[in-house]
Order: sequence, then structure tokens, then C-alpha cells
Amino acid sequence: MIGDFSIFGVFVPRLLVLLLASYGVLLLLKKVLARLGVYRLVWHPALFDLSIFIILAATAANVAEWYPS
Amino acid sequence: MIARFSRLLKAAFTLTLFAVALAVGWNFWQGYMQTPWTRDGHVRADVVSIAPDVAGPVAAVLVSDNQTVEKGDVLVRIDPERFQIALDLADATLKDRSASLDQARRDAERYHRLKNGPAVSQQNIEQADLAVEQASAAYDEAKANRDLAALNLARTEVRAPVNGVVSNLSLNPGDYVSSGAGVLALIDTDTLRVEGYFEENQLPRIAVGDAVSVELMGHPQTLRGHVESIAAGIEDRERTNGSNLLANVTPTFSWVRLAQRVPVRVALDDVPAGTRLVAGLTATVSVHPRRGGGAPADASAAEPATARPAAVEPAG
Repeated sequence: MIGDFSIFGVFVPRLLVLLLASYGVLLLLKKVLARLGVYRLVWHPALFDLSIFIILAATAANVAEWYPS
Repeated sequence: MIARFSRLLKAAFTLTLFAVALAVGWNFWQGYMQTPWTRDGHVRADVVSIAPDVAGPVAAVLVSDNQTVEKGDVLVRIDPERFQIALDLADATLKDRSASLDQARRDAERYHRLKNGPAVSQQNIEQADLAVEQASAAYDEAKANRDLAALNLARTEVRAPVNGVVSNLSLNPGDYVSSGAGVLALIDTDTLRVEGYFEENQLPRIAVGDAVSVELMGHPQTLRGHVESIAAGIEDRERTNGSNLLANVTPTFSWVRLAQRVPVRVALDDVPAGTRLVAGLTATVSVHPRRGGGAPADASAAEPATARPAAVEPAG
């Protein structure tokens, strides 16, 4: 999560990239979960999505910590 | 009843997940904010501004731009003719003074031998002794002048005071250089280091000696080092000296305050082969505080008391 990520010479904070990637994963995951019918077991879907996103992002950041650059 | 129970279960499931998310998110955010790291770091080196000690036209430039030189190497040679002539002149004067001194000594000796006779007065003897002393002083003066001329001649060869790399060289033979004015920059490669500009609120978690990893922009490898020292002061931007030497303090009205940056000097211990350290490169600097070494990440309240003395000690 610490450091820069080079996108064609533009250096952006790694955290920004991780957050965007997590959001992408979340969108995919939402489709899968909807297909599996998980949302029927959920109280507020938006709150559920937010929770999933936070967990995804934090996990991604922690995993990225083990693999420098 | 069953429908109601299932609603409760749903709510419990979602809220539990949210609680987990809050915990994980908070933990991550604390780590992100508290880890002492900065993207605002730079490779730095001391730059010696090479200035000739004597003025004159440049006879030869013996280095090329970006050339690595060692301490003592001749960089620039200033036309020595004028200084050679000055040395010859001083030599001649020295010879003259030496001869005068010899003569004064011989005269004094003569007067002293005739001391008891009627022909020489006490005054004559004293004047002869005075002449010897004056001639001796004049000789010493000429000798010092000769040494000075020799020094000036030697200084026509401008030498590298440190190991380093010549940079931004735009000096050509024939250019007239004046003494004391810098003519080329020499980057002292022995002093290459990284300086991270850390936010002031991260300082309590940085101690001298902490391990540091440095990533240069665009370089895949990580450089290792340790915190060498922390700056003892930065400029107070809110205060200037007024016209009559009274403090002129800017009246600030800012809701949002930005943490100021304090330079932390990092000595590099392990630079991967093939890494070209260019003074000025951008670096991302992360400090790894020692666990249990008096600087745990959570005891932020107790830290300044323990971390500050450790940081100040080496300086004082």
C-alpha cells in the first residue's frame, strides 16, 4: 500500500490503485453473489456491499504489504 | 413468527459483517496513517562548488562533464606564467635581502670587535645591531612573500577536494576565472544519502537507527538503510522579522492545517548493484520502527517522552 504505482510513467499512490481494483472485484463479486442468491439473506444490500468493499480493500492492502513493489 | 426471526437473522448477519468491516478497515487505516512513510523523499549529496583560489585565464580543463574524479586530482589548470614570474621576483628579492643580512652581520661583527677602541661609539654598535635586526626582518618578509608566491603558483592547479563526479561543466580553456567564484560543481559521492521529508505527526515513531527501506521512482529494487539523524529545526513559516526587528507573525485563519515536513536523513547500507544514485531522484521512504524498542505503534501518547531523547542524544 506504500509507494507508487507506475501507469505509463504516471506515478499514482499504490493505495489508489488498490482501491480501484477492489471496487472492480466488488462489482464482479456482486454479480456472483446475486446469482447465488446471497442477497436474499441480507438486511440492507448497500451496507453489505460497503462492508465487502472495506474488507476487500483492507485485505488487498495487507497482501500488497508482503510483496513490496 | 418465522418471518420475523428470519428478518432478525438477516439483520444480525449484515451487521456482523459490517462490524468486521469496520474493525478491519480501522486497523488498516491506523496502519496506513501511522506507518512512518513518505513519498516525498529525495536522493541527496553534498555539492562542492569548486572555485579557483587565484584569478587568471584557464590554460587547460583536465576533466570532462560527468567524469568521476578522486580526491586530489587536478581539475583545472590556470595559466601559471604570471605566478611563475611572481615567484621568480620573490626569489630575487629574497636573494637581495639575504645578501643585505649577511652584510649587516659582517658590519655588526666588525663594530663589536672594535668595541674597546676609541674609534667606535656605543651608538655605532647599537646602530649596527639594529641594522642586523632590520635586515633579518626584511629577509623573513621576503621569505614569506616567496612562500606566498609559491602557494599562488601551486594554486593555479585546481584540485578536487573530495571524491566525486564533475557536474554541469561549462568551462573552456581561455575563460577568465576570478578567485572565489565557483566554476564547476563537484558532487561528493561519498555523501550520497536519502532524505525523507516526514510529516511532523509521524516523527514520534521515527528513531535514530531504525531500519529504512527506500524505493526510487521507477526502480524495481528496494534500497536498505537506517535513520542517521533527524533535523533539529525547520523554518517557522508564520514568522518573519519586521522592519524594526520585531517579530512579524502572520495571523492565520486556517481550519485545515497541513502537517509540516521535517527532513530525516537516511544512510544507505545496501544499494543493489546497478542502481544509479543520482542526487535529486525522487524516493519513497518507509521507516520500520523497532518493535518493543520503546516505539510501539499504538502507544502514541507515551511515545514522545521515550522517542525524543533518543533522537536528540547523538546531536547533543
